[in-house]
Amino acid sequence: MIKITDLEKFYRTEEVETIALNKLTMEVRKGEFVAIMGPSGCGKSTLLNILGMLDDPDAGSYVFNDIEVAHFNERKRADLRKHNIGFVFQSFNLIDELTVFENVELPLIYTGVAAADRVKRVEPVLDKMQIMHRRNHYPQQLSGGQQQRVAIARAVVNNPKLILADEPTGNLDSSNGNDVMELLTDLNEQGTTIIMVTHSEHDARYSHRIIRLLDGHTVMENIMI
Amino acid sequence: MMFKNYIKTAWRSLKKNKAFTAINVLGLALGLTACLLIVLYVVDELSFDRYNTKADRIYRVNEDLKLGNNTVNYAVAMPPLAQTLKTDFPDVEDAVRLKRTASHVKKGTENILEYNIAFADPSVFNVFTLPMINGNPATALAEPNSVVITETTAKKYFNSINVVGKTLLMDQANCKVTGVIRDMPKTSHFNFDFLISMSSWPDSKSDKWLRSDYNTYILFRKGADPKKLEARFPQFLRKYSGSEMQTDLNLSVDEFEKGGSYFRMNLTPLTDIHLHANRTGELGSNSTMEYIYIFSAIALFILFIACVNFMNLSTARSSNRAREVGVRKVLGSSRGSLIVQFLTESMLVTLGATLIALAAATLLLPAFNQLAGKEILINSHTYVWLLPVSLIIVLVIGFLAGSYPAFFLSAFQPVDVLKGKLAGGFKGGWLRSFLVVFQFAISIFLIIGTLVIYNQLNYIQNKNLGYDRKQVLIVKKAFELGKSAAAFKQQVKQLPGVADATLSGFLPTEQARSTSIFNKDAGMLDQKNAIFPQTWAVDPDYIKTLGMKMTAGRNFSAQMSTDSSAVVINETAAKFLGFDNPVDKLLYQALDGKHTKVKVYHIIGVVKDFHFNSLRENISPVILRLGEDTGDLSIRVSTSNLPALIAQIKQKWSGLSTSHFEYSFMDQDFDATYRSEQRIGKIFIVFTTLAILIACLGLFGLAAYAAEQRTKEIGIRKVLGANVTVIVSLLSKDFIKLILIAIAISSPLAWYLMHKWLQDFAYRVNIHWYTVAVAGMAAMLIAFITISFQSIKAALANPVKSLKSE
Repeated sequence: MIKITDLEKFYRTEEVETIALNKLTMEVRKGEFVAIMGPSGCGKSTLLNILGMLDDPDAGSYVFNDIEVAHFNERKRADLRKHNIGFVFQSFNLIDELTVFENVELPLIYTGVAAADRVKRVEPVLDKMQIMHRRNHYPQQLSGGQQQRVAIARAVVNNPKLILADEPTGNLDSSNGNDVMELLTDLNEQGTTIIMVTHSEHDARYSHRIIRLLDGHTVMENIMI
Repeated sequence: MMFKNYIKTAWRSLKKNKAFTAINVLGLALGLTACLLIVLYVVDELSFDRYNTKADRIYRVNEDLKLGNNTVNYAVAMPPLAQTLKTDFPDVEDAVRLKRTASHVKKGTENILEYNIAFADPSVFNVFTLPMINGNPATALAEPNSVVITETTAKKYFNSINVVGKTLLMDQANCKVTGVIRDMPKTSHFNFDFLISMSSWPDSKSDKWLRSDYNTYILFRKGADPKKLEARFPQFLRKYSGSEMQTDLNLSVDEFEKGGSYFRMNLTPLTDIHLHANRTGELGSNSTMEYIYIFSAIALFILFIACVNFMNLSTARSSNRAREVGVRKVLGSSRGSLIVQFLTESMLVTLGATLIALAAATLLLPAFNQLAGKEILINSHTYVWLLPVSLIIVLVIGFLAGSYPAFFLSAFQPVDVLKGKLAGGFKGGWLRSFLVVFQFAISIFLIIGTLVIYNQLNYIQNKNLGYDRKQVLIVKKAFELGKSAAAFKQQVKQLPGVADATLSGFLPTEQARSTSIFNKDAGMLDQKNAIFPQTWAVDPDYIKTLGMKMTAGRNFSAQMSTDSSAVVINETAAKFLGFDNPVDKLLYQALDGKHTKVKVYHIIGVVKDFHFNSLRENISPVILRLGEDTGDLSIRVSTSNLPALIAQIKQKWSGLSTSHFEYSFMDQDFDATYRSEQRIGKIFIVFTTLAILIACLGLFGLAAYAAEQRTKEIGIRKVLGANVTVIVSLLSKDFIKLILIAIAISSPLAWYLMHKWLQDFAYRVNIHWYTVAVAGMAAMLIAFITISFQSIKAALANPVKSLKSE
């Protein structure tokens, strides 16, 4: 599903050039659950942003579903992204002015789903995440665990082929964290590919495979199963 | 669909940030209200006389006269002019003369002194659009002693509007009511309650061509070119006034003109009269275009300040919105739809503000009318232009105010935002700094303008006018007493509490004026040495009663019979005549053109110059002579119990006349002369205050955000030992710097423009450096208070809290 080859990304300030990704090569197959680990500054967030098409690489190739996207412009990337990729963030990133239902509905609006269909698609997802009773609440009225469930609901509502999770349990206590990991595991079992960045060895154990990064390239791959 | 989502988000975002929304909406609403009121005012001023359906074809004929050193620009013309123009020029479809008068009108047993009366030719209803409710406009003013009255007047005198055929007793003459017209619109440069047939006024048949008495209007045929007519005026005047000039002045037109004098005619379009004409003999007090420009500028300034607030607060708040932008972009929103979203939000705010402003303007209109001396109404006609204008305002202001935040916010890179790379929207806001400078530059400009106008008005109020207008009671129309006027004066003088009294209608604060030509030698009219002064008939008590000062010679004396040919001249007349020592010099006044009969006057004294025109004009020559003018009785009072004294004077009046007793106070009459200036001054102050208020509202919001943005910094500084003073000065410093720049920009500009405004006054104040300093200090102080409210709050906050929340 994802194949990146010799991927490079630099950050330049006036005097210093920092290499974030250094000729990184990796592959993720359809239906995999991959965890990316590594110390701060090893390039894992950069990698996730490129995989999520929020950022573009400086060199190398990125093939997503047999399409080379490394050279795509922002509009094309946005178009591919909104149909194929769901995001889950450490800090949830819900829109405070929208209710639970409206937050989850948002990706459907951007992909042009009709209003009646949107209700039909949002409600089962809310049900599945066990936040249906909170559908008309605003994010600030929810606990952290509930907020992250809303964020996951929003990530999956469009039935993406890939979910990118950036430390999804980083702002949660262990019990809520476990719930979130269970949800992601369920989604994966139903066929969604998941790539997750994490600092937590505990969370990483939920994945099939751990890719460890250091200074912008793979240092080790652990197969969990 | 997406649109609904924008409105929803926008609405909730506004609701969530109540303080921000309140500042934004209220600031904008306040600005728009002020703007709307000014627009109503300006539209009203520009609409003067346009109620006339033939307005574009109506012109007033003016006269310009220069004789010797005197120039007079008249709004009035010669008695036979109207008819002659109509006969001689086929382009002139019709012509009408108006002559203002005042009269006692009897209502029951009461005699009411009415001022809004004019003699009018029958053609008045053909030229002007004065709809007649009852009566036949074609014949209404044909017969002598016919009068057409307005609806209100009809109700006042008869309690009915079906009054055609009834009679009104006006100054002892029976006038037949031949028509009732609708009240004249307030947007008319003249406003009469009574129109009396011109034929009732014998002088109207005069064929004199060297006089100026009648406001004369002509109606051009469709397609006629007024310029062509104007070009023929010199020849026309030569033809008709030439012979009269020869007989009356013993001069041919050529000789007259060779002497540097002139006698000319020109045209003023009807719709230009209210804002562009300020001549001797205007029928009402006109305004000037200058004020229209000033007010329009103020309206734009206020609107601009309010918009800048909106832009600044929105961008300052951008960091709070950045995350939303990032999330929306991640979820697939394009930049375009984000721009649309922010513009929607901004238009929503503008729409809200506009609705509030419309309501507020409607509610405030009565108060504004009172302030501005207007009778503006918002009716269906107003909405015809007001609603589209409001819509345009919403779109344009919404776009302008929202565009910067829209384009600025939508350009955020989602990666940066979500990573928290975007520290905040506050720093790097050079545009915001520029806008704050601009806002305050405008505010300071307005403060300086207000101070200068206020000083000038104050100067007018307190200037030594050369006479003492305080404690002078004026009994109007003493000629009603006929021969008893002198007796009335004597009786009043005997009353305790009366210091002095004088009979004369020629008062510095009254309209009555009379001019005639005087010559320095007995021979031919010498244009170089002739003067054309105000010639006022007064009595020996005049100078004393009005508190004027003699600078040379003596006052008139009732004991000296020779004083019947004596004159007292003012300093300006002495200067014009070129006399170093004018006392005992002689002046000659020709009684016929051949100078065979000449009246000789003997100058007995010089009176210190006194002001009798607007302070916009220089003092002109005045010659006082003894006469029996009984226009008014001016009484200098020396009692604190005025009501009792007035009652006593009224009793004396009633003993001699059945006419209504009318009086006024000279200082009030004086104030009336400057009412329009004072009104302008007041309006100016009100709107300047508003402008400053709105600017401060914006500054308040900005300071709040600055403090919010720097909460962490403040927390760290406090932990490291900074005290409140240090923090307040830290937060205030940036703004104070901007305001200093604003002062530097606006002071010279304001000084220059206000200096130009003052040039219109012949007598004026100087702009002192401290006026500018006071304005700058005031702006600084107001700004500092506004900012410190926020800074002190931030400085006093517990650092533990602010650091934890990060």
